[in-house]
Amino acid sequence: MLDDHLIGVLSNMGMISFIALSAYLVLVVGEISFGQQAFFAISAYASGIASAMWGWPFLAAVLWGAAIAGLGGLLLAIPTLRIRGLYFAIATLAFAEMVRLALEIFTYQVEVDGELVGPDGSEGFRDIRYIYEADISAGEFLLVILGLLAVTLAIILWIERTRLGAILRMVGEDPALARLQGVNVNLAKIATVAAAGLVAGIGGALYAHLNTYVEPKIFNVMLGVHGLAYGLIGGLGTAFGPLLGVALDIGVLESTRAFSGYRMIVFGGLVAVLLIVRPRGLLDEAAVYRIRRFLLRKHAGD
Amino acid sequence: MADFLQNCLDGIATGAAYALLALGFTLIFGVLRRLNLSYGPSIMAGVFAGTALYMGFNAGLAEIAIATVIGAVVVGAYIERLCFWAIRKDMAVASMVSSFVIWMQIEEAVTLLFPDRTYAFPGILADAVVEFGPFFLRASSLAMLAIAAIAVLGLLALIYRTHFGLAVRAVSENPEAARVAGVNTGLVTFLAFACASALGGLAGFLIAAGDQQITPLFGLWATFKGLIAMMLGGMGSIPGAVLGGLLLGVVEANALWYLGVETRDLVAYMLLFVVLTFRPGGLMGQAALMARRAAESRV
Repeated sequence: MLDDHLIGVLSNMGMISFIALSAYLVLVVGEISFGQQAFFAISAYASGIASAMWGWPFLAAVLWGAAIAGLGGLLLAIPTLRIRGLYFAIATLAFAEMVRLALEIFTYQVEVDGELVGPDGSEGFRDIRYIYEADISAGEFLLVILGLLAVTLAIILWIERTRLGAILRMVGEDPALARLQGVNVNLAKIATVAAAGLVAGIGGALYAHLNTYVEPKIFNVMLGVHGLAYGLIGGLGTAFGPLLGVALDIGVLESTRAFSGYRMIVFGGLVAVLLIVRPRGLLDEAAVYRIRRFLLRKHAGD
Repeated sequence: MADFLQNCLDGIATGAAYALLALGFTLIFGVLRRLNLSYGPSIMAGVFAGTALYMGFNAGLAEIAIATVIGAVVVGAYIERLCFWAIRKDMAVASMVSSFVIWMQIEEAVTLLFPDRTYAFPGILADAVVEFGPFFLRASSLAMLAIAAIAVLGLLALIYRTHFGLAVRAVSENPEAARVAGVNTGLVTFLAFACASALGGLAGFLIAAGDQQITPLFGLWATFKGLIAMMLGGMGSIPGAVLGGLLLGVVEANALWYLGVETRDLVAYMLLFVVLTFRPGGLMGQAALMARRAAESRV
């Protein structure tokens, strides 16, 4: 059986992977986002409200939170369509900080079993107790996280193999060329940012229910920039890239405690050198192509 | 009305600090076309070099100012070599993420060397106040405004009146053509980066002297305030950086007065979001952005 520490680390990796995947999706269509933590936050609150205050079942609350986060993505994508490059990155940063600061003053409480439950501004949102009331153990919850992550990853990988995936990559590489090919670039971008919001939202809902307590300052810009960095460390060639980035940082460096106290000095230096050698990450497009060719050849040889 | 005018005066004083930070940002962006997220932390490291000199040797103001500037330039040079010079020019996102992880590295290194939450910094004109009729302004703010004005004029003169400035503009416009024309693009980029770091060191010294204290969180603050101010004005525009800094300062001061401290930052980010939505190139950068897009569409 896994010990508690390992379960905690794996759960963390699973939840952060959703943010990393979400930032990766935006990178695929050629934009940089510093703001995916906003959707994580929106869904953490929305799903917490649904399960702790309205008495919804867990899965419905997660889907609801993710849907609201996707809607948030849509709301962000439409006004920012004309904004590109670094301006887009900063606009998403401004959006995420607006969400965080709005949550600092957002108060909505109802009485549940004689106690006030609900978000209370900067005091945060306590008692999202669903997994305790339903008696779900940390190990079981880890399976829920990994299951949802596997489904999300499978859908993204499947889309990447289809024509739609090729279109999204083209929009990211050269929007003008994509437009000439008859691709609706604006629609592709709006849909991708909304989908990225949804993906981050799943992670946020899981986070709120595992920790039973969320506060606005968790969802600061550092969370989003880490999510973005994971994609770039792991590689932008495949959806496995962001997961590799998460595994390297949280899985290897943070949890082994070998470098505690000066972890960022080691990690920062390693990543800086990695980005010099491989500016699109470990699993970049060329590496993915080589791996795929290697696997195919092996398959053909059998 | 009197409140509003006093708020604007306070805002302009804070805005001068923002403008100085934005000027360094815009200079780096102008020549590299890439974003240096570690700009604030490099300034923070410089200010801590000044603090070390102050605490360890009880040094005078001039020595502390020089140590701050040198510290910022040394850390800036490290960032330039590692995150910008060594990474392929067309990989802007890689440079940005690299500068972000180096930010984390600098912050942790400083926290290890200086484990307390805050450190004292010598003040200049700390308690003096200048009165204009019913309005007043801290003398240190006035000094900051004056130095910001001198820095802007100096920077404009450097960029538009010297041979080095011509090289900087050439590299900014078209690095390949500049190289063919005999400009040492690597050196020019490095020197422009060093200038920006020195400017940042000066700004950091003035801000820390105004607050009379310094924390490792200063890096985050400086990066974000400078970034917002630069983006408001438009990336790469010198007048835009000044306008953005002053506008941010004035809006923040009024939001603080009328709406309270919780709402102040919210209003600042809303301002940025709305400006970018309606003018995707910033207030003064729109024409440049449109010109570049028109050129792209002709190709």
